Amino acid sequence: MKNKVLKRIVLFPIIAYALLLILLPLVYILFLSFCQNDSYGGMIYHFTLSNYLSIFDITYIGILLKSSLIGLVTTFLCICISYPFALVLRERSKNVQNLMTKLIMIPFLTNSLIRTYGWIVLLRKNGVINSALIGTGLIHEPLGLMYNNLGIIIGMTYTLLPFMMLPVCSATFKIDNNLIEAAKDLGAKPLSIFKNIIIPETLPGVFNGSLMVFMPAIGYFFISDILGGGKAMIIGNLIKNQFLTARNWPFGAAISMFLLIITFLLIYIYRKLGGKLDDLGGM
Amino acid sequence: MKKILIILCFLLFITGCTSNKHYNGVVNVLNWSSYIPDEVISSFEKEYNIKVNYGTYSSNEELLAKVTSSKEGTYDVVFPSDYMVELMIEKGIIQPLDKTKLSNYHNINPIFLNQEYDKNNNYSLPFLSTIVVIAYNKDNIKDNIEGYNDLLNEKYKNNIVVLDDQRIVIGLSLMALGYDMNETDINKLQEAENWLKNLKNNTKAYDSDSPKTFFITDEVDLGIMWSAEAILAQEKNNNIEIVYPKEGHAISMDNYTILKGTKNKDNAYLFIDYLMRDDVSQKIIDEYPYISPNKNISNSIDLNDIFNNGYYVKNIGESIKNYDKLWANIK
Amino acid sequence: MKHKTLKNLIIALILIFLYLPIIILVLYSFNTSKMNVLFEGFTLDWYKNLFNNRTLLEAFTNTFIIAITSTITSTVLGTIGAIGLYKYNFKFKSFINLLLYIPIVIPEIVLGISLLSVYTLTKLELGMFTLILSHISFSIPFVIVSVRSTFSKSLDTYEEAAKDLGADDIKTFFKITLPQIMPGVISGATLAFTLSLDDVVISYFTAGPGSNTLPLQIYSMIKTGISPDVNALTTLMLLVTMIILFSLTFIQGRKIVGEKK
Repeated sequence: MKNKVLKRIVLFPIIAYALLLILLPLVYILFLSFCQNDSYGGMIYHFTLSNYLSIFDITYIGILLKSSLIGLVTTFLCICISYPFALVLRERSKNVQNLMTKLIMIPFLTNSLIRTYGWIVLLRKNGVINSALIGTGLIHEPLGLMYNNLGIIIGMTYTLLPFMMLPVCSATFKIDNNLIEAAKDLGAKPLSIFKNIIIPETLPGVFNGSLMVFMPAIGYFFISDILGGGKAMIIGNLIKNQFLTARNWPFGAAISMFLLIITFLLIYIYRKLGGKLDDLGGM
Repeated sequence: MKKILIILCFLLFITGCTSNKHYNGVVNVLNWSSYIPDEVISSFEKEYNIKVNYGTYSSNEELLAKVTSSKEGTYDVVFPSDYMVELMIEKGIIQPLDKTKLSNYHNINPIFLNQEYDKNNNYSLPFLSTIVVIAYNKDNIKDNIEGYNDLLNEKYKNNIVVLDDQRIVIGLSLMALGYDMNETDINKLQEAENWLKNLKNNTKAYDSDSPKTFFITDEVDLGIMWSAEAILAQEKNNNIEIVYPKEGHAISMDNYTILKGTKNKDNAYLFIDYLMRDDVSQKIIDEYPYISPNKNISNSIDLNDIFNNGYYVKNIGESIKNYDKLWANIK
Repeated sequence: MKHKTLKNLIIALILIFLYLPIIILVLYSFNTSKMNVLFEGFTLDWYKNLFNNRTLLEAFTNTFIIAITSTITSTVLGTIGAIGLYKYNFKFKSFINLLLYIPIVIPEIVLGISLLSVYTLTKLELGMFTLILSHISFSIPFVIVSVRSTFSKSLDTYEEAAKDLGADDIKTFFKITLPQIMPGVISGATLAFTLSLDDVVISYFTAGPGSNTLPLQIYSMIKTGISPDVNALTTLMLLVTMIILFSLTFIQGRKIVGEKK
């Protein structure tokens, strides 16, 4: 009897939380996505599918594709940076590995906006990088490093890198040394070791990182605003605009639902690949 | 765990210490970003012992979204522009102003009153006004710039900063084509879209918050921007030339309004009356050189230039969806 | 030998990439010029200015109040929740479990607007309370996940042993369970704290009057140009973070050494 009371006390808060602060908001957004809006930003509670149909307009499909592309390039760059880092560190002592992990975490603990602002100072026309390159005579005309897609990708890669580095590092450090030594003894080339041992062993880690990089990358409206010069609209900007400028909440809700479905699909693939849900939040 | 608790308690203690002032009341204000200097707010707080909770927004629609999505009485004083005043009156969000509570009401120059969006100023009074101008750096641009169409010149690739404001930018493209600023005809909007795509080829960035920075850091030589931003850029670099576009310019008039359901009505009036004072208006203009409707203040722009050939953004009902799609198409 | 240089170079380049903006940020906090454009001369004025900048200090205070309250609440709720979900079975358990992953994986903007719409629906006044509530709601799942990672079979055995020896539930929890799962609780709390401290997107949608936070303040300043006192403040915060992080490592290191002895 007493056990039942305890069970209730222990479970009540978490279930209440899951229902009130996760399920309720999402159900409400789902509901909104089937409503109509009036031109003043009000909602008319009248069932319609038109919001979902509008997503398939060429304009919005274009935005979806563009932001997915930015997300994919960002993810790819993060992978390209994380692997060499992890592979080099794998050969070092535990102490060096710990120190380096701390060193990756520190920038991550500094306000992300102010770091993005640091990139403005670095990337602009007469910024640090261009001045340095011109000063050394490598280039004569300043390079267009920001206010374009390049700027967005640099900013996204920078901000989201730790989400890739940490899972890739921890997966790489776990690979059994004997396995690699054995392969070497059998005459395997480094490339073949990488292909046949390291990639399969780290794949769940990479996919975990990809998910944690790709999803924010299509939603971080502030990076495309700041480093992209407001020229490229990504899904994040589109949703934000529906809620804050176009006053079309139902449409914004429909795009959010669409994004949610993409998320679930990716997670489904992740689990099929043998990934564990619990690894997603552990950084 | 204990250590972390100790650290947390310590932090809580520090943060607790820094917010220990007592005020007689509050007023919750939402205003455009970069519009009132911090100093003006803190001297109000000192003088009246009323705390100002000051928040900002960067578009009228964002203001509307913030106000309608929060409970009535969350905010007291807001500063919508012309067409948004009309909309807020229609939606019953703002309440009539009692001018007898504003001792500095007589400071307002009458030519700013009785505008089309609020005929008798029952609900709103002008706070600051601005127009959209073209600014360019004479040092690097030798051509004659007179209007919007001059900006389409292919020479200016990646050399223009444009306001990031859907209604105004679409409006001025319509003016450039010789149409009404608030045109809703689909075919004409299609032409505007093409015009804007051409302009985008020359655009380095869309920015409403601080286009002047692009001039100061030498990022661009041309810009479509608020007059005040252009004047600030000019103060830093006197080679910057300001042009009133010959096709017409957009006017934006921001107004004092008090929201329905306010819990701090008296403080709201005190705050508005304070901002209407000559010395305060002057302080604001000194920092942000917009156009003040206060008749005792000399403006940097001739008042005739404002209303001559100037047009307001108007509510266009359902057509806003077409505008929105057009904008998404350009970006 | 050449190989080793190349490897060191890779590490060095990646660290430079990570630290470049931070070096810039720290450097410009000592710059005499107000615009973050050119480095014109050395000064400490911005650090003095900082303590007179009311808006910035208020945002700083709010940020910490929110981060601390939401960390404590979400750590307590998350830990209890994780244990509950581990120990008890009930109808729809797998559904609740699935729900708990959602805040981790969905784009923040979706969470932000969905919370905002619910606050609108329930007529909650936007402000500190809604911000704290939002931060709690995106932190709890992270706490749960990291606490859950410390559960193991041996924990169950210890608990049973304690109960056999006559300890009640409460005593078992504080004497056995909590010490065992402590690493997970701490890392969950740290994660919650950092996420809250740096959140822009969700706060952007759920803030109200008088609840300006540091990230929101910086966001509104970023285009107009950030004044160097913000750089000064972030530099100080960075310093504190580093001290805490390294002293924690030091304490942990000593513990490990001590245990080995």
